[in-house]
Amino acid sequence: MQTIQGILFEPVGCLAEFSPEPFLEIAARLSLPGPAGRRLAGRKKKASKSASRSYWHALNLMEASGCDAIEAAAIETIEMQAVESAAIYEDVIPALAELKAMDIRLTIASSLSSAAVGRFLERSSLLHFDGVWNRDNSGGIKAAPLRSALAGIRLEPCRVMFLTDTAEGLKVAESAGVNSILMMNDPDESRRLAMLNPAGGIVSLHELPDFIRLLRSRAQPSI
Amino acid sequence: MKKISIYRPTTVDEAIQILSVHGTEAGVYAGGTDLLIRLKNRLKQAPTYLVDIKKIDNLRYIKEDPAGGVRIGAATKLAEIADSDLLKQRYPMLVQAVHMISSPELRNVSTLGGDLLQEVWCQYLRGGYACWRNGGYLCYGAIGDNSYYHSAMGGRLCYAVYPGDAAVALIPFDAKAKLATPAGLRELTLEQLVPGDLMVDGRIQSHVVRFNEILTEVVLPPPQPGVRASFEKLRPRGVWDFAMASLALSLQVRDNTIEDARVVFGGIAGKPLRERAVENFLKGKTLSAELGGRATAIALANAAPLKYNSTKIDMAKGLLASGLAKLNPPAPV
Repeated sequence: MQTIQGILFEPVGCLAEFSPEPFLEIAARLSLPGPAGRRLAGRKKKASKSASRSYWHALNLMEASGCDAIEAAAIETIEMQAVESAAIYEDVIPALAELKAMDIRLTIASSLSSAAVGRFLERSSLLHFDGVWNRDNSGGIKAAPLRSALAGIRLEPCRVMFLTDTAEGLKVAESAGVNSILMMNDPDESRRLAMLNPAGGIVSLHELPDFIRLLRSRAQPSI
Repeated sequence: MKKISIYRPTTVDEAIQILSVHGTEAGVYAGGTDLLIRLKNRLKQAPTYLVDIKKIDNLRYIKEDPAGGVRIGAATKLAEIADSDLLKQRYPMLVQAVHMISSPELRNVSTLGGDLLQEVWCQYLRGGYACWRNGGYLCYGAIGDNSYYHSAMGGRLCYAVYPGDAAVALIPFDAKAKLATPAGLRELTLEQLVPGDLMVDGRIQSHVVRFNEILTEVVLPPPQPGVRASFEKLRPRGVWDFAMASLALSLQVRDNTIEDARVVFGGIAGKPLRERAVENFLKGKTLSAELGGRATAIALANAAPLKYNSTKIDMAKGLLASGLAKLNPPAPV
């Protein structure tokens, strides 16, 4: 891995603890009738307890269904409820401050709506970001915010990390060409996801500055 | 096993020169019980150039210090420490601890320096997984089986525990380590020598020794009067295994009152874990049967066990209670 100069964050699963229910509600709204819908929405018998998995599942459904303006407004309302109940992880603010001091470009690259991301940042008092990309200003979901963020910070993808705790997130990072970093929030799920060969993995955000320092240190010859 | 070259310098200065030339591709070779296994396991971080320091004759000794302490050369075999009458008389707890390291066969080969600076024995690292210590960017111990050899006190990228027993046993004596460096001799406390996971020369390691430095000596200050000390170790097997939890406990006692205390846990964190909260609690207390329960209540307050190793904290607390009981002999009838 090359020395990292920028990090892209998806708030859901990386910056805060979200409840899965709002995303399950979005998924239920978007579930399509017929075999295609059953394939997308009905694969699991039990609803996921993971907010991240529910979120990415809802994004898949949004991508497949292509929701209209009325549906988009309803989804945004539910997302706002999700943001209102989200609890920021305690290690986020010190880690972001340290990364900022290390001159790392920090960017939000989220598939949430502009209003939801804005409210999330306002509620959590996170002022560390050089750019904020969401599905409205990037014109799409999943890889679209990552691509817009990359264009915004003008860094080579190989010098950028994207943090995620889902298989979908790892795929999206790969498709955007950035380094996929697994947030190992749940050991059992992380063990499964580690088989998908993420570029790296961390247990807590407080490890990110050390991660960057190690990469810098490995880039320097010892003699 | 990859092809290696061996140098056999006869002086420490010569060894440092060779290490400086090859950088992190070189490594010090003494007993080899850690290093050769890293090579055999084909670990990426295993060196290509071995600098065999066994021919340097002034690194293997146990001798009395004029000030009343003892100096131990870094290349001294663990078996020699375990058999030393001088150490048995002055620092019986250290001898007790060394007796619990590995097996008699390995103690006949392993050196004190090697025990202090050994690589972690995480099964994922030793199994060749691309983890933080092996060229990768993920700790498999944090998400896999972490019941035995991983930290229950948090981590810093790598969650393996520091595996050595000698450092745990030396810290209570306020022992110092001497490092030969290109800029001359450097003296460190044992806590400074093995402060836990840190980045040195682009690698994650448990100790501060750089690629071109050599640990030459450990200096034990004169034993303090009234010191009672014990070392206990719990491990998956009765012998030849690393600590799941260990404790080196030293109390300086006068008239049954604890004047000073050292409490150092092993096998539960990425470093020998000195528990200062318990040390401070014990100072000024009278040795009693109830002390163990009160000390364990405040011990390891920052514990952060992984999914499968919370039992390590219970073990460590149990060792503290039994250690305090052991150092409080029953009053004569």
